[in-house]
This record gives sequence, structure tokens and C-alpha cells, in this order.
Amino acid sequence: MKHGLIIALTGSLAFSIAALANPGDPIEQRQELMKNTREALKPLMGMRKGEIPFDAATVGDSLATFADAAEHFGALFPEGSETGHDTEAKSTIWSDRAGFDEKLEDFGTTVAAVQASSPGSLDELNASLKDILGTCKGCHDGYRVDKD
Amino acid sequence: MPTPVRRLLVPVALLALAAWWLSRPQPLPASALPAHTASVVNGERLFHSGGCASCHGSVTGDGIDGRQLGGGLAMETPAGTFHVPNISPHPADGIGAWSDLDFVNAMRRGLSPEGRHYYPAFPYTSYARARTEDLLDLKAYMDTLPAVEGVAPPHALKPPFNWRRPIGFWKRLYLDEAPVHPGPSDEAERELGRYLVEGLGHCGECHTPRNVALAMDTTRWLMGAPLPAGEGNAPDISGGPDGIAGWSVSELVDYLETGVDPDYDIVGGEMVAVQENMAKLSPEDRRAIAVYLKSVSSE
Repeated sequence: MKHGLIIALTGSLAFSIAALANPGDPIEQRQELMKNTREALKPLMGMRKGEIPFDAATVGDSLATFADAAEHFGALFPEGSETGHDTEAKSTIWSDRAGFDEKLEDFGTTVAAVQASSPGSLDELNASLKDILGTCKGCHDGYRVDKD
Repeated sequence: MPTPVRRLLVPVALLALAAWWLSRPQPLPASALPAHTASVVNGERLFHSGGCASCHGSVTGDGIDGRQLGGGLAMETPAGTFHVPNISPHPADGIGAWSDLDFVNAMRRGLSPEGRHYYPAFPYTSYARARTEDLLDLKAYMDTLPAVEGVAPPHALKPPFNWRRPIGFWKRLYLDEAPVHPGPSDEAERELGRYLVEGLGHCGECHTPRNVALAMDTTRWLMGAPLPAGEGNAPDISGGPDGIAGWSVSELVDYLETGVDPDYDIVGGEMVAVQENMAKLSPEDRRAIAVYLKSVSSE
């Protein structure tokens, strides 16, 4: 638990520093935050596939990164950040802000619930992972556009 | 009547007659139906492989309901707005009164039970490649779903698209049951993947660029295209260098099952519903799809 708290604090700190270093560019900040969540997902997917052994501490670290992203993500889509930097943010974020915020909250509450249950086995992790990925898709479904 | 006009009367009438004949609906005869005991289990699998509910599911406050096929989704396209119909087994509002032959003609020939051309927004250009036995299984599964009341409003299309008869010409050119990328006959896994992708899966309908007649350009099969409605692209999913050449079969299978790509990025847009349907297929079906996609290249 203490470990998780330190990670969360470090994460927030790193985030705050990034924000300070780049105060004017929410697009870069949110892309950086999204990159962190992808990095955090990596070991979880590795465990799921049996490529690396289940490790509760690593899972805790990843969940803390997700929680940090869920907390800070919403503020990084201000008016005026609709275009630039090859953003894949869809215009619906601004035309349906309430819907977007709701999806983001789903992500946050799901991650918090998984953190509270702290998965202790691979089976528990896989079940939780499915829930978390579901909330990622829930938002990407209507608020993210694929440009590749 | 002046003589030149009179002289044109017969050729014009003949041309009109020829056009009428060429664009006529061509339903399959009842003899095209094989003797077949339908499998509801296989029908459910094919239902998911085709993502039927993604377009035909009833639109509710929470999105689409996968078992209530009441329709109602408004699809914006360059031709105008299509209102997706009710295909639940409701006898009056849905397709509950359809015969097996009606269903097969809708799927393989793009025809209504009254013999009118459907618009290819309903992707029969892909479904035409499905085996009739499989379509009967699909119908048997759909018959087990709840009957839903309600009829969608008529399509709101811009002229000349509001005229159905010319679709008959279009079908002559572009409705083709033949495989797009047939493979060696001894590669059963690839063939299963081909059948699912090119047929009921109708992947090409979004991932293949369209020509001037808005038909899939099969010379650029699965090589990516702008989405017909809204923002963004359906990416190149061919086995070529701009497609999925860099993905392993196992990475593709994982993506179809979880929605997580090799960069740990997570599926978005219209593909979310597609991926969640793919997740309902068997691991063997997903692997076959991956093997086929890897094999598709523009030569």
C-alpha cells in the first residue's frame, strides 16, 4: 500500500513537472500521459499472456499510473486544443463534453475499484483487466479518431 | 410530330426496354435452397462474425443493444441518411414473416421479399460470398431473438440516389460472389479466414477504398480508406508494408481478442464494436482471420 502511494505521488510529481515544463501545450501533455498508461499496460498484458510471471507489486504500480491518468486527463482537453500535434482527439469531446467526462469517470472509478480489491492472482488480474480495458474502449469508441 | 423525333422514338424505346431488363432484380429460385438442418450455435457465431447488431441493434440510451434488433441507427453517408431497419423476428415490424428464401435473397442478392433492390449500404456485396447453409443457420439464430416493435423512418437520400432501379446496373458490375483473394485450396485455415473476412465479416466494406461508383476497389483490397461517415480512416489491414506486415499472427489474434495492439494502444472508433464481436468468436476463427489478413498483399 505504502509502495503504491509512493508511486502515485511520484507519478503526480512527474506529471506536475511535465506540466510546468510545458505549460502551454495540453495536447503534448495528454499524449505524454496516454503514453505512460500504455507503458503501464505493457507488463499487465505480458502477465496475461504468460510471458512474465504475475507480480502484485508491478500490478499495483500500473494501477497507480492508470489512476493518475484518470485524475489528470480531463483537464488536458481545454477549448482551443482541438487540433495540432496529430491529435486523435475527436471533435465530440468538445461537442459532448458531459459524455466524455462520464466515460473518463468510468475509467477512474473502475481503476479505483480494482486498486481497492488489489488483484492477488493472475485470474483476478485478467478479470480486472477486462473491466479496465472495457472503460478504455468505452471512451475511445466515441471520442477518439484513428488517423493511422 | 417532327420527323427526326419520330425517327428516335423506336431506338429510345428499345434502349429504355433494354435498361429496364438489364437492371431487373434477379432473385435466387426456391431450388437454390439446399436441404439443411439449421444450427443455432453456428448461426450465433456467424451473427457475431458479421457484427449484425452493431448496425441493427436497437439504439438505447446506453448505446446499442446486441439482442434487440429493432434498428433505428441513422447512418450518414455521401448519398444521404440511411435509417437502419428492424430485423428482429417481429412479424410486422421486423423480418419475422420472411421465408428462408426471402432471407437468402436479401443477403446474397440484395433484394427485398417484394423483389426491390436494397441499397448496398446493407453490405450484401460481401454477404453474397456466404454459403446458403450458413445463412440458414444465421436466420435460425436470429429467430431465437426477441421480437421488437417499431419501424425506422424511410431513408432520406439525395437525388439520384433515391431511385432504386439503377442499383440493378450497379449490381451487374459489382455484385460478385467470387473470392477476392482465393488461396491455395490445401490451406484450410487461410480459407476459413478468407471466408469470414471477405464474406459475413465484411471487413472490406470499410477497409477497402471505393471507386467512382462507390464500389470497393478490389485492386486495393483492405488497403485502408477514409471512413464514409465522420472523422478518420479505416487503416490498411492488408499484409503489405503499410498494413500489418509488422504484426505477428499472435499479435493480431491478441488484438482481435482484447483490443490492445502491439504498441499497447487500445482500439477506438467503429472498430470497438467490431473487435468486441471478434472476441466472441473461437480462438480458431480469430487465428484464421489473422492468417488470411497476413496473406493479403497487392502483388
